[in-house]
Amino acid sequence: MKLALRALFLLVFCFALTSLNAQHDDGDHGDHSADDGHDQATTVHESCSDGHEGYDPASVILHHIADANHFEVIHGVNLPLPLFLYAPGHGFTTGFSNMLGNDEELKSVDGYVMNHGRVNRLADTAGDAMLAGEFDVECILHKTEVDTTGKELDTYFAKINGKEYKLNAASVGDGGLLGGGITNFYDFSITKNVFTMLFAALLLIFLWMAVARGYKKNDGQAPSGIQSLMEPFFVFLRDEISIPMIGEKHYEKFQPFIMTIFFFILFCNLLGLVPFIPGSANVTGNIAVTMALAVIAAVVAYTNGNKHFWGHVLWMPGVPVFVKPLLTVVEVLGLVIKPFSLMVRLFANITAGHIIILSLISLIFIFGNNGESVMGASAGGVVGVAFTLFMNCIELLVAFVQPFIFAILTASYIGAAVEEHGEAAHA
Amino acid sequence: MSMLFLADFSVIKPDFGLIFWTVLIFLVLYGILAKLAWKPIQKALSKRNHEIQDSIDEAKLVQAQMAQMKDDNQRLLAEAREESTRIVSEAEAFAKKRREEAIGEAKEAAQQVSMNAQREIANMRDSAMADLKKEVGVMALDIAEKVIRKDLKSDATQKALVSELVNNLN
Repeated sequence: MKLALRALFLLVFCFALTSLNAQHDDGDHGDHSADDGHDQATTVHESCSDGHEGYDPASVILHHIADANHFEVIHGVNLPLPLFLYAPGHGFTTGFSNMLGNDEELKSVDGYVMNHGRVNRLADTAGDAMLAGEFDVECILHKTEVDTTGKELDTYFAKINGKEYKLNAASVGDGGLLGGGITNFYDFSITKNVFTMLFAALLLIFLWMAVARGYKKNDGQAPSGIQSLMEPFFVFLRDEISIPMIGEKHYEKFQPFIMTIFFFILFCNLLGLVPFIPGSANVTGNIAVTMALAVIAAVVAYTNGNKHFWGHVLWMPGVPVFVKPLLTVVEVLGLVIKPFSLMVRLFANITAGHIIILSLISLIFIFGNNGESVMGASAGGVVGVAFTLFMNCIELLVAFVQPFIFAILTASYIGAAVEEHGEAAHA
Repeated sequence: MSMLFLADFSVIKPDFGLIFWTVLIFLVLYGILAKLAWKPIQKALSKRNHEIQDSIDEAKLVQAQMAQMKDDNQRLLAEAREESTRIVSEAEAFAKKRREEAIGEAKEAAQQVSMNAQREIANMRDSAMADLKKEVGVMALDIAEKVIRKDLKSDATQKALVSELVNNLN
């Protein structure tokens, strides 16, 4: 089992490495400093105008915390990731992300184009001829449009055979509510975040299987090795989260869930702090991930809710009848607010930390006046490194604290749902 | 430009694909870890807890038993000591009594014996004196008779006869 998993992982990894599209820098960014892979603006190669663009820290930062359809190893060298794209009416398109070309030569396949590391699709107005087959893309153009209400809208265009085709936004599920725009396809690819989640999951499985083997091996004896390293975590989460929050009676049923949610978030956080592959993905700082986890936590809590819990939510006992409907509204809102707070808290903490670190790194480029002032860059480097070191320590703390908070709140929601009548005094 | 930042702030735009994969990965991870890690670990830990608790309980029980036994031993020892003291003193008293009795008896017996011996001696002396008296009387009669029979003839013969008789007497 373990051997097979290892072999499979190795195979996948080897395959991915052999298909690396190692393209070299063409010289207009000769400074290969350590921060190169991390902080280069990526708009340069995709711009048709060869003009030297200024350093835009905001777009660089937002690009780095965003999900991507490939995994940047260093600048210009991307680990291809599998694409599973679905456009209603056009069916599935699958392959590896390098089929859409690299930073030098972009390609459009079935209308899909790589834009800043994310797969976009040509708008349906391009016509069916452009939405099937391969075309060479000359460049991606960025334009700011003003719509009828005076709102500025960012639009991207792909220049194919001298003609500009509008690109739809990347696949999002917000229906344009948060500025995502309307898309005409769904992206179920193994993105950078998905890759990191899989990696974290595999690490967790290897780690805890080894721990579990220790219990089998040292049956009736003192723990040893990795087992004694990880046992305090298990015992701590059991004694500090599960038992006090859920109660002696029910905690055993939910302890595995609390453990999984804690360690999954913890490992994703820690991998997010590693600045190079296989880390660097902003997994728990993506609202889709935290939303999924929060909804799972809420579903686990509410589906285990007993009569007593639902009685309190839907028709609060012990209060005057005219207050009951009011409380029902409040409690039902609470059912939604609880997972919402879980989602936002984790997302905001992780994203904020990453933005601060990337801002500090950006100081090097800002002080350096985009490569013109070496002294300024050095000063920025000194300041940036010192503050980044400090921020990394805080982020490390946050990486442990946030899963703990997520787990303890999840446990308290579960505890409230399974609490039996008379177990606690009524407020 | 400000709108550009917001528009590019893609991490707050939930992507169906990422939601799908997160849910899938998390649930599969939960399934695998729950079955292969959490439950066995939970079982092993609670088993160990029970074992430790049992051991402690047993140790306490044994300790209590030991204390009980120690008390018993002490009590038994004290009792035995008391008993032995009693036995010794009783034996001593008995021996003393016996000795005194024995001495008394011995004294009495010795007195009896000496009394008997004195009485016997007195008896024997009395009978010997009586026999002697009787014998001396008879001898005196005999001598007197013989003296009377011979002496009548001569003095010499009388003297010889007396000395012969006296010699015979010796």
